[in-house]
Amino acid sequence: MIVDSAYDQGLVTTHPTPVIDPHVGEEQDIDRPWQVIVWNDPVNTMSYVVYVFRKLFGYDESKATELMLQVHHEGRAVVSDGPREKAEVDCFRLHGHGLWATMEH
Amino acid sequence: MQRRFRATGGSVEVDLTGDEKSFLAGLLEVLAGLPRTGDDPATRRLRVPVYLDDPESNDEWWRLMGEELTAARNADRQVFQRALGEGPCHLSQEEANAFLRVLNEGRLALGAKFGLDVEEDHDRLPEEQRDIMDYLGWLLEDLTRELSRTL
Repeated sequence: MIVDSAYDQGLVTTHPTPVIDPHVGEEQDIDRPWQVIVWNDPVNTMSYVVYVFRKLFGYDESKATELMLQVHHEGRAVVSDGPREKAEVDCFRLHGHGLWATMEH
Repeated sequence: MQRRFRATGGSVEVDLTGDEKSFLAGLLEVLAGLPRTGDDPATRRLRVPVYLDDPESNDEWWRLMGEELTAARNADRQVFQRALGEGPCHLSQEEANAFLRVLNEGRLALGAKFGLDVEEDHDRLPEEQRDIMDYLGWLLEDLTRELSRTL
């Protein structure tokens, strides 16, 4: 069904077009991966966040719990990294599940 | 309290009372009535920035991805609405995940409207608002637990 696989596969009903900056050309920009960061918020429950990390990224329960606790105690955690396009899609999937995700380079 | 969700085989059985369905239908109306942009706290919570230090890239992300996100959220809400029909229903795992996302989206929206900025704010909420957040949290935990068993 389209509804859920949109987020699971990083695809949506009509594929999202990542915001690629055509001016990125410096070697250091290409080599350095983007990091996707999830921020703490006062409403999302711990078990829900663990579930989302497991479901979206395939982390085992231990790794997902570790990341959730890092978000909870430190305010943020890097949950994935990679090229800019992947980071933008990961943010899309996380926002689709109500988590506040940002990306940094 | 009796559980409302039960994963059996490849589906999730949903057994909500009539009062719960009425309340959750109201939650859908709250979500449907949110302005797409602007200063409404719930709208702001559901459109948080992706690029913190780059407003131009952030605007571009929301311009390109925001519509897809809205479409995906609307598809989830349609599943949610169907599940509020008469009697118990069975959702596929994917439909149950859509139901879960709407529960969470609704809780996020209400939390923002109630002014929940830090976790300690929960205990300062008026009783009625705290009960609503707790009830939605309970439903969310119940369904999360069942879906976690399917991973």
